[in-house]
Amino acid sequence: MAPPEEAGGGEFPVGMKVLVVDDDPTCLAVLKQMLVQCRYDATTCSQSTRALSMLRENRRGFDVIISDVHMPDMDGFRLLELVGLEMDLPVIMMSADSRTDIVMKGIKHGACDYLIKPVRMEELKNIWQHVVRKKFSGNKEHEHSGSLDDTDRNRPANNDNEYASSINDGADDSWKSQKKKRDKEEDDSELESGDPSNSSKKPRVVWSVELHQQFVNAVNHLGIDKAVPKKILELMNVPGLTRENVASHLQKFRLYLKRIAQHHAGITNPYCTPASSAQVASLGGLDFQALAASGQIPPQALAALQDELLGRTTTSMVLPGRDQSSLRLAAVKGNKPQGEREIAFGQPIFKCQNNSYGAFPQSSPTVGRLPSFSAWPNNKLGMADSTSTLGNVNNSQNSNIVLHELQQQPDTMLSGTLHALDVKPSGIAMPSQSLNTFPASEGLSPNQSGFLTTIPPSMKPEPALPNSQQSNNLLGGIDLINQASTSQPFSNSHGGNLPGLMNHNSNVMPSQGISNFQTGNIPYLVNNSSIGVGSKPPGVLKTESTDSLNQSFGYICGSSPMDSGLLSSQPRNAQFGFLQSPNDVTGGWSLQNVDNYRNTIGPSHPVSSSSSFQSSNVALGKLPDQGRGKNLGFVGKGTCIPNRFAVDEVESPTNSLSHSIGSSGDIPDIFGFSGQM
Amino acid sequence: MQRTKGYLDEQFCQIEDLQDETSPNFAEEVVSLFFKDSVRLVTNIEQAMEKYPEDFNRWDAHMQQLKGSCYSIGASKMNNECTLFRNNCGQENAEGCMRSFQKVKREHAILRQKLESYFQLLRQAGPAGTATRPAGK
Repeated sequence: MAPPEEAGGGEFPVGMKVLVVDDDPTCLAVLKQMLVQCRYDATTCSQSTRALSMLRENRRGFDVIISDVHMPDMDGFRLLELVGLEMDLPVIMMSADSRTDIVMKGIKHGACDYLIKPVRMEELKNIWQHVVRKKFSGNKEHEHSGSLDDTDRNRPANNDNEYASSINDGADDSWKSQKKKRDKEEDDSELESGDPSNSSKKPRVVWSVELHQQFVNAVNHLGIDKAVPKKILELMNVPGLTRENVASHLQKFRLYLKRIAQHHAGITNPYCTPASSAQVASLGGLDFQALAASGQIPPQALAALQDELLGRTTTSMVLPGRDQSSLRLAAVKGNKPQGEREIAFGQPIFKCQNNSYGAFPQSSPTVGRLPSFSAWPNNKLGMADSTSTLGNVNNSQNSNIVLHELQQQPDTMLSGTLHALDVKPSGIAMPSQSLNTFPASEGLSPNQSGFLTTIPPSMKPEPALPNSQQSNNLLGGIDLINQASTSQPFSNSHGGNLPGLMNHNSNVMPSQGISNFQTGNIPYLVNNSSIGVGSKPPGVLKTESTDSLNQSFGYICGSSPMDSGLLSSQPRNAQFGFLQSPNDVTGGWSLQNVDNYRNTIGPSHPVSSSSSFQSSNVALGKLPDQGRGKNLGFVGKGTCIPNRFAVDEVESPTNSLSHSIGSSGDIPDIFGFSGQM
Repeated sequence: MQRTKGYLDEQFCQIEDLQDETSPNFAEEVVSLFFKDSVRLVTNIEQAMEKYPEDFNRWDAHMQQLKGSCYSIGASKMNNECTLFRNNCGQENAEGCMRSFQKVKREHAILRQKLESYFQLLRQAGPAGTATRPAGK
């Protein structure tokens, strides 16, 4: 089955590049030697955060990753998720722990395999199969994008089933079916594989923020249940993208959503240990409460959002208002003036926004006016970008969707008005209006007092976030993430700064650590390149530097020109506007902010996009191709902070925040990302 | 000698087998790495036991790390003691933990001694003796 080139005799897997991540130096040394003896090209790394940044910098630099489960700085599962979403590389888990439930967790998180320590040579000799398998699937996608109708048809069916099952049942079944599918593909593509250039080295599709945003938009447009790869592909209308690409991405997305949902439901994660919560609590400061108060965002959603941010499993820590705020953040982020941004934050930017985004009709009826948030421009932010959108995120539509979580904001908002958001930058604390302004840069509502403070009126998207400065404020909570080292509790962000949002992104990019997280969040965003981040740190997405942050969600601020802050900059963190009420998980995307939080915060929030996705469909769709860096939170910059989105951090709840802060040097694991233990 | 009484198991064999021309002292390097790291882990456990009395989860988590290390070089006896310690943690038996921990430390010291002698002998046997356990030894 292996293509001649690849498995040819001795060519492959000789020289296959393996990255081993384990905090135990003894094990690392032994494994490395074994791999070398297998004639692989082995690189070892004792910290997952560093591993992640290495991967982000050089996506093609590795063929397969072997990671330990119990690690102090980041839970192996989270790393697994992040890698899977961002880079689509095969990841093999490894542990001395052979308990079935842990192994199951690994599988569900997408691990290609699970090795029990001590690892034997024989087992290592076979790991190349995973690489080939994946390549084949990928190749097939490219090769047969659309051409193989039959296969495609089959696949969709399979995919759908798989997705459904994965969503419902959990990875086990879906994984198996996936495997079957892959096998089928492999068989089919045998011919193709013959072509070295095509099959063996099929370039991986990089799910940049924009792309992801488009994807999200499309999904939103269709509705998560009805989103089939074929239709999504059509809506996205991206040349060169195959159905398979979309299918696999969709699957991941669904898993993500599911996890978010679970997370929100309090099922999961213990991620954030209370300790972290404390920190996160600050996030809560974000004006979540305000948001929540507004009533716009369903408390649950906010709670979920908060949880995610904090890594807390449930709202326990979440500030009461938080729930809402988180949602709001999302919404706010959306405000991007860009108009397109509909970021579905869904947050009812309540009050403020109306101005800014237009999309959110001020009235955001529900927008509960977040007092503080007000600034949250109608979160259309998230969505807004979709200019390209597939489906158009049109804002109205999209926004609606997104919003509906939040409140069902009037479509108007989203419709492109985002641009208009008028978000009066009122910077900070503007309760109701200012938020809009924010979007420009950070997307965070102006309320945030600190935030965007600079957010000059009308959302200055760019300047708004002077990267460094902003980060502090806006994110308040997000800063944590962004700051990577700054463990600032979100508190600042208030204003609904959705953690993710804030990222001042530009600023925050600090420690990659955070960024990583952020990116981590949106697995989809993957763009390491942080889309656009580089250029304008749209406040939100600063993806560039912070990578992570940008990714986060909401960069709402995204300095980029009004990109609605959300992800404005670059990678537009594809915040897709998830902002949708976190609760709904559906919004997975919408919560952009929320998600961002997740990303950054890492705590257990898996790239949350998924969760919000559901309801938020809207959000997703909304995000008009942000074009910029739609970072879904990943904002690819490479350093994205791995989202915690591995929500199910299996391992130890301790990971959460407590570790984070101290751990990993890079990212202050604010949320306790560090999966440790 | 190495395999005396099950101090080390098959995994150690594999490690030795990994030695080759490019890494002639691989086994010894790994072993010294192990001891360096395990000392740190043992200290962690000790401190945790002092600082956080009765915090079995924490103790257990630390021990799990040490156990993972043991697996990597095949230190089976020591590993057994680690398992017992974890069992005691599971049962929340503080005293049992103390006793187990002493045993773990003891096995750790014994193993280190044995391995040091082992490698010394190997060196004495000369390069010919490497690659696998010296035949005569």
